[in-house]
Amino acid sequence: MSATLRPYLNAVRATLTAALCVQNFDSQVVERHNKPEVEVRSSKELLLNPVVISRNEKERVLIEGSVNSVRVSIAIKQADEIEKLLCHKFMRFMMMRAEHFTVMRRKPVEGYDISFLITNFNTEQMYKHKLVDFVISFMEEIDKEISDMKLTLNARARICAEEFLKKF
Amino acid sequence: MRLEMSNGTHNIAEVHSFGIEPITCHSFNKNRSEVAFSLNSNDVIICKNNNGHWSTTATLAAHDLRVTGIDWAPISNRIVTCGADRNAYVWEHKNGVWTKSLVLLRINRAATCVQWSPKENKFAVGCGAKLVAICYFDEENDWWLSKHIKKPIRSSVTSVDWHPNNFLLAAGSTDFSSRVFSAFVKEVDDKPTPSSWGDKFTFGNLLAEFSRPGGWLHSVRFSPSGEKLAWVSHDSSISVVDSKRDVSQAVTLKTPFLPFMSCVWLKETHILTAGHDCCPMLYSFDQTGKLIFVSRIEQVQERKTGGFNALKKFKDLDTRAATESVDIFLETTHQNTITQLSLTSANKNDTTVCSTGMDGQMVLWTVQSR
Amino acid sequence: MILLEIKNRIIEETLKLRFEGAKAGNKAENVDVTFADFDGVLFHISNPNGDKSKLRLSASLKFYKELQEHGADELLKREYATYLCAVEQGYNISLEYDLEKIAAQPAEAVEEIISKAALIKRNCFSSVFEKYFNFQEKGELGQQRAVIHYRDDETMYVEAQHDRVTVIFSTVFKCADDIVIGKVFVQEFKEGRRGSTTAPQVLFSHRDPPMELQGTDARVGDNIGYITFVLQPRHINKQARENTINLIHTVRDYVHYHIKCSKAYIHSRMRAKTSEFVKVLNRARPEPKGERQRKTMTGKTFVQAD
Repeated sequence: MSATLRPYLNAVRATLTAALCVQNFDSQVVERHNKPEVEVRSSKELLLNPVVISRNEKERVLIEGSVNSVRVSIAIKQADEIEKLLCHKFMRFMMMRAEHFTVMRRKPVEGYDISFLITNFNTEQMYKHKLVDFVISFMEEIDKEISDMKLTLNARARICAEEFLKKF
Repeated sequence: MRLEMSNGTHNIAEVHSFGIEPITCHSFNKNRSEVAFSLNSNDVIICKNNNGHWSTTATLAAHDLRVTGIDWAPISNRIVTCGADRNAYVWEHKNGVWTKSLVLLRINRAATCVQWSPKENKFAVGCGAKLVAICYFDEENDWWLSKHIKKPIRSSVTSVDWHPNNFLLAAGSTDFSSRVFSAFVKEVDDKPTPSSWGDKFTFGNLLAEFSRPGGWLHSVRFSPSGEKLAWVSHDSSISVVDSKRDVSQAVTLKTPFLPFMSCVWLKETHILTAGHDCCPMLYSFDQTGKLIFVSRIEQVQERKTGGFNALKKFKDLDTRAATESVDIFLETTHQNTITQLSLTSANKNDTTVCSTGMDGQMVLWTVQSR
Repeated sequence: MILLEIKNRIIEETLKLRFEGAKAGNKAENVDVTFADFDGVLFHISNPNGDKSKLRLSASLKFYKELQEHGADELLKREYATYLCAVEQGYNISLEYDLEKIAAQPAEAVEEIISKAALIKRNCFSSVFEKYFNFQEKGELGQQRAVIHYRDDETMYVEAQHDRVTVIFSTVFKCADDIVIGKVFVQEFKEGRRGSTTAPQVLFSHRDPPMELQGTDARVGDNIGYITFVLQPRHINKQARENTINLIHTVRDYVHYHIKCSKAYIHSRMRAKTSEFVKVLNRARPEPKGERQRKTMTGKTFVQAD
């Protein structure tokens, strides 16, 4: 693991742990409603200051907290066209299956590749510290997976070209 | 008398689990033989203690949204409940059954908390409509009426607490403020006597206000004498005002822990808090007006692993993609946020406190004092 | 399978079955098969006028007219000679086989017939290549460039120069993703010559046609790529020629086939990883406490202890 990744993930972990201190909170704007305040944004005082944790220009995490929900958005490293394509495809693939993830948003927040929305209902049903672990391991794995896919794609292309040209 | 805490003197008396649903709120009866609680649902469950085993004796079903507050009056044995459906009900145990009477709350947002006044002739309901409803019984019409304290609350009220004198009410809300109001209701109350918080007792009069950019307030509590007021906020701080010392100045201690959700005075000098760190913490407020961290009530211990279990290992692999045993448990007894603390008994030597939380557990702690 | 097959396997297998049947003296059965190949080519194997003793293989190529201009007819006559028959309605070429005559031939000869028949699409294409290879060899320069619209919006250009024959394929990528993956592949083709000194030079241009095609109606667009093969005399001499044609006429399909394979692979990887992520998330879910009743396969219930 590179020297900058560890502190980056540690910062995300600490911020997320603090942000995930959420509670059930009924809407004070709409009667008999109970909606994630971080999404409806109807009461300013119920929102926490958003925090951006950046590893570098391309890799960063936006954590927006509120009284009953937290939105975590991740910008994933995309060094070239292929990584961009793979990242885009992969995120779209997962977001189409967001219901399996419970905490995944179907659309990322603008400027980010993928967003999670964790509400008090999620922290009631799941262990909070394990939810944090999930986000961290997601961030760790996703870079690895994308670069792996890129390598295999390149390898396939090389073998295809070589095999074809060898026949001449 | 000093409350002395050292390692190993606190212990867990009992742990009860009511499933994996969060316990939203709880309240004991006078002799602690029964408890009323809600499992994050529309119903209130009443359980009786049979030699350490809690068995359900009644279910109070009236709310059509989540129950948010329960308070069991010790003397009159009445239970008041409030819920996200904007209603409150007063339950009386008659001929072996709990019968409810509706309260004219006149609020248009979810109720968040409820508490009987010490004399049990009134109760206060905090709500998302940015007000506190003070309810009292109207003999003439045979129902509960309410008066509203609105100003200057600017956000949802999250916690209310009565002063022992039955006239003053503290309210904490998500506008980062705690306030002390007069809740004197001339229809039912005797002439009020002056207190350390002031003597202007017209209904709704604001006697003290403590506002600080920090966090939402989660819990406010008067000390047993009513001279001090403590509250915990979302910025992980705990604050105390001593009205005898300075009624305008709060002492605030920022703690390194995750935010507390509840606080309770054990004695005039000690406050127990608990919240997102899943472990109750003891603080003292000494003669010099200083807030000091005393100890965690539960010492973190290594959890012993349950040996090899083939079924569990297979399950872990299958549903969790875990090649080695995943230790998913926290080291504390509570596995999720503690949302409410309540004093169950206090005598000379030790105090028993009950904590309930989002993990569906009810834990009784004995905090010893020498 | 890395390289695509040049022979059409369905033709091969269908004919083989019938011919072997005829040889073994089995009763001839009715045949009526229609099937497709790359580049929109359609085949039809049937009994002409219901005559079960005869087999007809017809092929339809949308661009056959263009191939005819480059001597496709002559080439087919050379290759199939006696088997050519009156063209079936709706098709461009038809071959007819008399099962009795086939049965009379030795096994090797039958193999040969089958194999030739299976190469019918390739042979159609080869007329163009042969023509321009000959131009180069004989130094007949200044010939007009051959333009074959081998797919609806994809075109092949063949041109003879004094020291080379250039073959240019224009190809359309269906979506932006294909362009990116396509580029990776073609890039490797460009660099592949390093590993194989005998290979022709490959050039690729995206969006704009290469210099040679400027001023023609060659399309310009974000989703269009041009693959250029520069064939040297060593690729087009009499010995190498057949092999070169075999390879070069499949190049477009080869690249697209592998783009699709790569996408399928990426997809399966994403699926696997996604389910792994779901499992990691599952670690956050507490297991419900207490005993649970379960049923075995046979329907017996048992209580699972924790």
